[in-house]
Amino acid sequence: MLPDIETLERLARARDFIDHCYDHPLSLDQISEKACFSRYHFLRLFRQAFNKTPHQYLIERRIERAKELLRAEDDVRVTDVCFEVGFQSLGSFSSLFHKCVGHAPITYREKARETEASKRQVPGCFIVMYKLESV
Amino acid sequence: MIQRMSHATIFVTNQNDALEFYRDKLGFRVHTDAMVGPDFRWLTMCTNDQPDFEIILMEPKPGMLMDEETSKTVRSLLDKGVLGAGVFNTNDCRGTYEEMKAKGVQFVSEPAERPYGVEAVFRDNSGNWFSLTQPTGES
Repeated sequence: MLPDIETLERLARARDFIDHCYDHPLSLDQISEKACFSRYHFLRLFRQAFNKTPHQYLIERRIERAKELLRAEDDVRVTDVCFEVGFQSLGSFSSLFHKCVGHAPITYREKARETEASKRQVPGCFIVMYKLESV
Repeated sequence: MIQRMSHATIFVTNQNDALEFYRDKLGFRVHTDAMVGPDFRWLTMCTNDQPDFEIILMEPKPGMLMDEETSKTVRSLLDKGVLGAGVFNTNDCRGTYEEMKAKGVQFVSEPAERPYGVEAVFRDNSGNWFSLTQPTGES
């Protein structure tokens, strides 16, 4: 069963906090504080409402941002991306990235570049009609 | 104001087979062949005389532009051979007809005199039919 509206609002506040501060080291205490719940109660409610733990949500947010940065034109280093999105160690970033995306960060960037180059050859209407914007 | 047409889509049952057919039997060349993501292949071909007009050879795959039902419908239209995709011009309809026939292209009708020139009709290997026309005055 989904939590009530007031609880959902509090949970959403905590989730917004993750969205804004994902690039900092965040603890469960800090996040649950935003929703004014005890950490274990918060953990349970959060998972019930969003189908994932706050930690999973945070990781996803970081990985998404890392993908954006890796796709960007300028040659930003993987290490810089890792710290910029809030990871503390390159090792855990790389292995989490691989687990979530299916490729190592550097391979992901190469593939994304190839896709971008291909995309530039295709008229925009096809990109839209064939739903290729996010590919 | 619109100046000209640069791209047109022809749905084909298999892009690899279509590429071979258009290249080896019709004499087209590949203009662009690029993967966009894992599932979308942008394959366009053109004639040597008209390199700025690209024919897009597209599979009616479900999941992107089409849902499962639409995809099936387009495939069945191809299989039924009801899709006529256009007119190709030549300066020698009978000669080109013989060449293409020798390569195994299936013709629906042999070259015949029409008010506008000499015309034959053939199918590609997906079932699309095309007119092969030698306009009056060209030889």
